[in-house]
Amino acid sequence: MITAVQADRLAVISDLHLGNPYSRAKRATIQFFDRALEENFDIVINGDGFEIAQVSFAKLAKDVPEVLHAMKAFTQRGRNIYYVIGNHDILLENFLNDWGGFKMAPFLNLQSGSARIRIEHGHLYDPAFINNPRLYEFLTATAGLALQIHPGLYRLWIAYEKLKSRFLWNSERALEAVPGQAHARDRIVGENPAFTEAARELCLRGFDAVVFGHTHHAGAVDLGGGAQYFNSGSWLMGCPYIWIDNGHIELRKLAQ
Amino acid sequence: MKWNIASEKFSADQIREFGAGECIAREGDESREMYVVVEGIVKVTKASSSGPIELARVERGGFIGEMSLLESLPRSASAFALTAVKVLVIQPGGFLVKIRRDPTFAFEIMQALSQRIRRTNEALLRAIDSGATSADELKRIVHRTEVRENDPPPQSIGSTAGSTVGSTTGPTADSIAGTAVKSNSPRAAR
Repeated sequence: MITAVQADRLAVISDLHLGNPYSRAKRATIQFFDRALEENFDIVINGDGFEIAQVSFAKLAKDVPEVLHAMKAFTQRGRNIYYVIGNHDILLENFLNDWGGFKMAPFLNLQSGSARIRIEHGHLYDPAFINNPRLYEFLTATAGLALQIHPGLYRLWIAYEKLKSRFLWNSERALEAVPGQAHARDRIVGENPAFTEAARELCLRGFDAVVFGHTHHAGAVDLGGGAQYFNSGSWLMGCPYIWIDNGHIELRKLAQ
Repeated sequence: MKWNIASEKFSADQIREFGAGECIAREGDESREMYVVVEGIVKVTKASSSGPIELARVERGGFIGEMSLLESLPRSASAFALTAVKVLVIQPGGFLVKIRRDPTFAFEIMQALSQRIRRTNEALLRAIDSGATSADELKRIVHRTEVRENDPPPQSIGSTAGSTVGSTTGPTADSIAGTAVKSNSPRAAR
């Protein structure tokens, strides 16, 4: 299992959730891999690329074979796909490893130019996932059933997270109420500030930047002192990705 | 504020700076701190009858002193700053707190220790096969594998030369999203 990687040019995508009732990432994923072949860069799938926790087997059967075929063509042309396991695809770890096309990793310590970058799914820093694993699993499965009935409920969930974030963590009163967080005025809307704090903790030990997925809220935060936190978002709505070029990092959106 | 004192004492967030040539840890010391190199390069040396021998150089992200922390043993080697160095100091009391807040840190320590055992075993087997089993040779093998020396190089993907083919700066049609935080010179370059 690798963790140390050196690359000059690389794109990080996450949370494609291929096989999820709401996933629309199939075409965009195939196009992105075609472009990566043309433009000569490698790809990191930063977790939850495939869906098991909320899977629709019909959707899985419809979407995944073509995507796997495109990925196989990509790797057979000498390019690399690094796959960081997330929480929705953790049961697929052995299958993905045996499939042979991916280089599996629990996380990546990427050296790009003179920058040292941590790429990790981020679920280990989710208070809900860590503190209440059974409840989290139950709610995930319940949400999966709801998505089977009406996939559009996903948009409602994202809107709710953004609203909750604004009230709970982004209000002036919230910032003053929590010691130590008053200075952390930059955080990604929709996301629990625990992820920014986790990124800050990682940067303490020599990373210039941290890239998480998991939260489905793409964004970027200046942590101060030259350190940065990026989230690669999700391809359930839009196609954000993190572009890394010789240590220079940008959050971009795929033009569709 | 008084409530900060305990959290500061056991906090894992202690950055210490050293100038080039300064001693970070001395062989034989009974300090139980471990250090993670945040900036700069650290030289690890061991005393010998013919003077100090350089065992390894530890760069950003590397660990020093983990055996002293984990096993409360005197330091087996000395560490000096080759350049201006910043280290994250982790004390025994803060070690588990650090792991709780940064769980992959524990994975990386275990990975380093596993690599060290493997290298020691391989070096010992090579020495036995080649007949070089004098006490001095065995000591040399053990000392050189105590630190993170000759780690397998990061796996290279892509190439700097290859990137001149076609577009060198990646897609231009995509919008630059988010808060447009672009990296300045990485901290390592300062």
